[in-house]
Parts: sequence; structure tokens; C-alpha cells
Amino acid sequence: MSHETTDENIIIEIKGVNKWYGKFHVLKDINLNVRKGEKVVVCGPSGSGKSTLIRAINYLETHEEGDIIVDGVKLVDDVKRIQKIQRDVGMVFQQFNLFPHLTVKTNVMLAPIWVKKSAKAKAEKRAMDLLDRVGIADQADKFPGQLSGGQQQRVAIARALAMDPKIMLFDEPTSALDPEMIKEVLDVMRELADQGMTMVCVTHEMGFAKEVADTMVFMDAGNIVEYSTAKEFFEHPKEERTRQFLEQILNH
Amino acid sequence: MLYSRQTKARQFMRSKIRRGFLLFIWLVLLALPSAALAEGPTQPDQLFRDASNLISAGDYETALEVLDRIPAPGGTDSAADFIKSRVQKAQLYHALAMFDEADASCHEVLALFPDNIEATNLLDSLAKAKKPKWLLFIDDMKLFLPSLIQGAGITLFLVVITMVISPIGGLLIALGRISGVPPLRWLSWFIIWFFRGTPLLLQLFFIYYGLPSLGVTLSPTTSAIIGLGINYSAYLAEIIRAGIESIDSGQMEAAKAIGMTYTQAMRRVIVPQTYKRLMPPVGNEFIALIKDTALVSTIAMVELMRSANQMFNTYFNVNVLIIAAMIYLLFTTVFTVTFETIEKRVGAYENR
Repeated sequence: MSHETTDENIIIEIKGVNKWYGKFHVLKDINLNVRKGEKVVVCGPSGSGKSTLIRAINYLETHEEGDIIVDGVKLVDDVKRIQKIQRDVGMVFQQFNLFPHLTVKTNVMLAPIWVKKSAKAKAEKRAMDLLDRVGIADQADKFPGQLSGGQQQRVAIARALAMDPKIMLFDEPTSALDPEMIKEVLDVMRELADQGMTMVCVTHEMGFAKEVADTMVFMDAGNIVEYSTAKEFFEHPKEERTRQFLEQILNH
Repeated sequence: MLYSRQTKARQFMRSKIRRGFLLFIWLVLLALPSAALAEGPTQPDQLFRDASNLISAGDYETALEVLDRIPAPGGTDSAADFIKSRVQKAQLYHALAMFDEADASCHEVLALFPDNIEATNLLDSLAKAKKPKWLLFIDDMKLFLPSLIQGAGITLFLVVITMVISPIGGLLIALGRISGVPPLRWLSWFIIWFFRGTPLLLQLFFIYYGLPSLGVTLSPTTSAIIGLGINYSAYLAEIIRAGIESIDSGQMEAAKAIGMTYTQAMRRVIVPQTYKRLMPPVGNEFIALIKDTALVSTIAMVELMRSANQMFNTYFNVNVLIIAAMIYLLFTTVFTVTFETIEKRVGAYENR
């Protein structure tokens, strides 16, 4: 991890993080920095700890050792700080996790109204803008259950963006989607990347990674095995384990 | 042959048991005239006299039995006595408003004497006097409903108050049960353990009769509200907890990920999703509640059960209980239908 830790542009700083599930060591001495506007794609076999890592960044997972500093705020067991981080970091889940009892529009408006205390009219206008941006403004009054998986995931992205996050985390956003719906979600993510959003993305979509990622992180068995630029990662992977993984995933 | 028989008889008369035998014969001869008198022709007159004495003494049951003893005509038994006795029986039954039995008595006569004018006339007047059962029931309703409705009002009041208190109490206890703060968890566990584990009746007794000895005297209404409120909160708490725990953990994560606090996430995201799931078990509890309010009749509250009981003890009329049952059924039916409607409405998003 030969990364300059003094960089003022660093927005996520992960230092010596260890995490155990009981006796199972999920994260082993993880060090990782993410700069503002950087697009990091984390890949690796299942059980490698990549989801745990990304969830630790907005404190959906706690860690036993080490520090995670997001936008200058160290994650400790302090509800106020954690909530500040969670407001500033948007997250998109594999299973969308939309609120099924609320309409699409209300899903997007919920946090601005209750967390940011925005006026309802303002929140509604913003929600419609965001839904328009992800291409589902016409479904605004439906319930999530009436939408396709791809549409639901785009709503989930709009919902995260409604809080104007500084960082967006994507936890396998396309893994639960039918193949024909993957593109519509990746298109939205691509657009977001083009606009300069800081993104940490766990995905197996290597085409997307090649195109969008600045940095590739390959994890296996709780370790960061390889950390390099996307170009280097795909053209000259340093580690044997990375080569094996890429071979499997690219030739499946 | 003849000689030997006489000899034997003579010997017998001389034997030691002769005296005993003679005594026996003598007793039989003494008894015969009195038995003949009892079965004699003077008996019906005596029975009629007895019956009318019994009637004036108010013992109708025995009077009916006595009249019944006059046998059907045949031999020395007179037809007139028979008819007279059965007609008297019918009249007595009529006076007692036992119309079916009165009818039967008339038919007893008509079976043997189809042209008997007395029995025929009585049968006609019986048919007129005999009101349909449902009309009698209406009369009873007019008599009993006013007090029963008053009692039902108290029952409804208790049900509604408990229905407001217990979901709030239940939610608080449920949140305590799943809280990260151990003392809250223990307290909630204890409340549920205690109030689900002891009879509601005992709890009501304790609050109303027991607390005064600790210096706290509560009115029956307050005691009832507290007893029902806590008891039902404890039951609802477990239902609500199960409802909350049945919501996918991704919902809480998503709510946190957009910056919501635990309370906001519970209030805006998790709890609203439990409503549809909670409706059937909560509806069940509230129907049980409607019936459990009957228990507060033991702590001096005059609700539906108590007013029904009071009137039953006054009138010994089973219709009081039937009318009370009808009111309970009306309540439970209205609640059932209401809950089914609410369930469909709050869960509408799941059915689209």
C-alpha cells in the first residue's frame, strides 16, 4: 500500500483495520486510502471480505482494530459522528433495500425531510429531479414492488444521492439483477463517475471497472492482495492469485 | 288320603308355630279393609280436594302430580273425573304460562273423548294466549336491554381505552426488549414475564383489593384500566417485537445509510412495515380483550357481564344471557370486520 498518507485530498483513510466474526478473521490489517473524486473498484472471490470492508466505511460494520477516517472524522463508537458520516456517505445495496411501504418518490424524499429537515416541496422537487436523472420520473408514484430490479436499483441510487453525499459506496449493485437490467444501472453509475463523484464499488463487472475505475483493489481471504491502477491491474497483474481470479471471471 | 290330610292339619294347628301363623292371618285381615278404602271410589274426590288445597297453598308442582294420579276411565274409574282432572291440569299449566304442557293435557282428554267440548274450548283459548317465542323474546329485550346497553357502554369504554394504551405500552416494551441497553432489556423481559405469567383476574384483584393495604387506593375504573392496560401491553409487546424482528435487516441498514437515527428508522421505516403483519395477531388480542373485560365485573365494575348477571339473578330468565351474548358477538364482529378492512388498507403496497 504505497500510498501517500499526507495527501490533503484523501477523503477515506483506512489504517490497520482488523475485524473478526467470532474466531473468523474477516479483515486482516487493511490499509487503504481513497482520494476525492477517485473511483475505486474492489473485487475478489466471495468471502474475501470486500463487502465487509465497504460496509465498515459507513459503520454498518464495526471493526475491532485500526482506524477508519472519513472526511476527517474518525469512526468511533459515537452515535453523532457515525450519523454525520452516514449522512455524507451514500450506499447502494445488492438487494436495493428500498422501503416497500413508501412510494418511489417518498423513498427518495424520506432522508431529506427527516434527516436534513428540508421543506417538503423542496424535497419533492429534488426527488423528481433525481428520479429524472436516473430515468424513472414517470414511476414516481408507484411502490418499489411494482418496479423491475433495474428500476429499483436506480431508485436506490437516487435515494442515496438525495442526501448529496460526498462519497458513494456500491455493494455489488448489479449482482441481484437480470442480465438485461445490468446496463441501465451501470449507465447511471458511469454518469455519476463522469460528474466526479468519489466512488468505492464492490463489483464483478470487469468491463465497468476497466472503463471507470482509477484504482483496483483485489481482496482474498481478508487481505488486500493487489492494489494498482486499473490499467496495470488488467494488463499486468502482479500477483498470481489476481491472475487466477481475472482468468476465471473474464473467461466464464 | 283325606284322613291323613286332616291329621296333618290337626298336627299343624297344634304345632308351635300355630300361634305365629294365626297372628299373621289376623294382621292381613286387619290390613285389607284399609287398603280397600284407599283404592276405593271415594279417592278422586279426595284427590281433587288435595289438589285445590295445594293450589291455594301455591304448590302447583305437587298439585299437578296429584291431579295426574286420577286414572284414565275403565272399570270403576269414572270418565268425568278423568276429564275434570286433565282440564284442571291444563288450566293450571295455562296459568303458569306453560302452554305446551297445557296443550298436552287437553290432548290427553281429546285422545279418548274427541268430542269433549271443554277440552276443545280450552285448546282454542290456549292457542290465542300462546304467543310466539320470538315475541316473548322481544318483550324480554325491551325489559333487559336498557341496563345491558349501559353495561355494554362501560365494556366498550374499557376496550377502547385499552386499545389505545396497550399498543403504545406494547411498542415501548418491545423496543425495550430489543434495546442495546441491558437494564431496559431486563425490565421489559420482567414485565412480560410477570404479566403474561399470572392470571389477569389475580392482577385485577391485586390492584383493586391488594394495593389499598400498601396505601394506594384506586377506583374500580382506574384499577380496571391499569390492569387491562398493562396485561395487554405485555401480550402486544411480544407480538410487536416479533413483527419488528421479521422486517429484513437490510431495511435498518438502508435507513442508517441515508443518515437516519435509530428512532427515525424505527418510526418511519421499520414499524410502519409491521402494521400489516401485526393486524391479525393484534386483532386476535383485541377480540380476547372484549371478552376479558368481563373479568372486571369482579372488582365492582358494572359492565356488560355484571349487569347481565345482576338481571339474571333477579329474573332467572335465560334470555338475559342470550341478549348479553348477542351484544358481545356484535362487538367482536364489528372489530373483526374493522381489522380485516384496516389490514387490507395498510398492506395495500404488498398487493399491487
